[in-house]
Amino acid sequence: MQVVAPVPSRSWRHALTGLLLVSPPFLLMLFLIVAPTVQAILYSTGQVPTDNIVFQSDIDLVSSATPTLVVYQRLLSSPYVQADLAMTFQVTIASVVLVLVVGYILALYVRFSTGLLPSIVRVLYLIPMFIPVVIASYGLIEFFVANGFLQTILAQFGIQNMPSPIYTPWGIVLGQVWTGIPFAVLLLGSGLDGVPQELIEAAQDVGASFGRILWRIVTPQVVTPLLIVGTFTFIGVLGSYTVPYLIGPNAPQMLGVAMTAYNGSYQRPQPAVAMAVLTFLIATVAGAIYVWGTSRTERTAA
Amino acid sequence: MSYAWFLRISAMRKALALILVFALSCFLLLPLFTLLIWAFADQWTFPSLLPQQVGLRWWQWVFHNGDLGNAIKLSFEFAPIVTIASAAICLPAAYAFSRFRFPLRRPLFVSLLAINAFPKIGLYISVAALFYRLNLMDTFLGVVLVQLINTLVSMTWIPTAAFNSIAPELEEAAHDVGARGWRVFWRITFPLALPGIIVASILAFLASLDEAQGTLVVGTPSHITMPVIMYTLVSNYPQPVGAVFSILLSLPSLVLLISARRFLTAGYLAAGFRVK
Repeated sequence: MQVVAPVPSRSWRHALTGLLLVSPPFLLMLFLIVAPTVQAILYSTGQVPTDNIVFQSDIDLVSSATPTLVVYQRLLSSPYVQADLAMTFQVTIASVVLVLVVGYILALYVRFSTGLLPSIVRVLYLIPMFIPVVIASYGLIEFFVANGFLQTILAQFGIQNMPSPIYTPWGIVLGQVWTGIPFAVLLLGSGLDGVPQELIEAAQDVGASFGRILWRIVTPQVVTPLLIVGTFTFIGVLGSYTVPYLIGPNAPQMLGVAMTAYNGSYQRPQPAVAMAVLTFLIATVAGAIYVWGTSRTERTAA
Repeated sequence: MSYAWFLRISAMRKALALILVFALSCFLLLPLFTLLIWAFADQWTFPSLLPQQVGLRWWQWVFHNGDLGNAIKLSFEFAPIVTIASAAICLPAAYAFSRFRFPLRRPLFVSLLAINAFPKIGLYISVAALFYRLNLMDTFLGVVLVQLINTLVSMTWIPTAAFNSIAPELEEAAHDVGARGWRVFWRITFPLALPGIIVASILAFLASLDEAQGTLVVGTPSHITMPVIMYTLVSNYPQPVGAVFSILLSLPSLVLLISARRFLTAGYLAAGFRVK
């Protein structure tokens, strides 16, 4: 891009200006991401700062001179938290699978078909991106709830007593798919744009079937976008609150809903923060799988 | 027909595609349509397909409710402030990422993505724990800070892509005819990058306006914005109240989208996500 002047002192100044200009977002990241994470780990392992009344106010406060895992042991041995964790995993995995399947089908359709229908889909799939999640959740509730609009429509055709997914874990999955579609299709679509047309035509010329081209030529080229969408959807669902709080059941709850209740209404900041750290750990594992997966595909490609 | 391998034209396939696209539009649009009906329904009971009584009763109710008015006012205070703050913090960085060579440029650029690699509600709970110590809980500044989290990536990545897409020759040509640093930036670079900056600003504005989770955790009880008050409306009020409020909350998105539609191409939106 920019021609860097050959004089060393000038490029040194150039580098310094560059670093200075990019520092504000990173200082903010340090303050809003790194510092809270470090403090959450310390607080949840019993390193309680004495300067704060809210931290001290936890009824079952665990405070220790050396780091301890007591808070985590208590949490993980509670049958309620165990049920919450199990449902969190089930909902998250079901959502990731469905978002990947629906997103990939839509991305393939938009990329490889021409005409009026795909151009309608191209506008349709972006809509959830611009609808606040609270409103989307409310709309889904009023549409799918027992005696809601969907059941009203079905009743016109004499179909009655269909079970409603609202206030069940499946309702949460529905909400996550609705809100997750734009990101998945955009990212998978930009991956599919990179698949060389010549490759597909060459395969067609030797008589390869649609399924074979999809599986052997197209999909291997978009493994990385698929992994990105999978990982970020996993982390997104894990860290969601609005959809599970509004659409999900009262008990068991997803971890995000449970930790917010602990932090707010139960006045138990320490276990709330410990649950937050748990979600960070789970997200780290998901991130590690992603890094492992991308480095593996890069090696096989090379 | 270069894509014939995918769609070997046959009536069956066309019908199948039509059915699937119809199902998709129902899934994406009917929930929103349901709210639209509810907003004008004075009375609507199962199994009637349409409301028995239509009217604007609940609109009046919403406009005369002080709490809701305050939430609207507060939302429109936060959104511009967060957008401007985010631009001030990120745009110089975006320019530097595009035009300067410095150590760790690439790793720093990618590491911004770490923000999106955090389960959000866990992050907000942790931020709240830090804010308790710093006395930032339930303050205006605290809410601005927590809303900034969701703007940093797009406000840096999209403008960087915009600056990158400007040919350096244009700037060099301006230099050659005697224009100097700031003049080149304001007359050449900035106008050419403006569409990208506008897209990033719209996304930041909407991110702030629609942010509910972080604001709920950090701003309760006295900084209740429109999306936060929706939590209460959904569970404690009759359906039309939430529906009317949903429309009010969606209107800014709609207006911004329509007025800026020529900038909002899928290409730009995808640019923010693309990992090169």
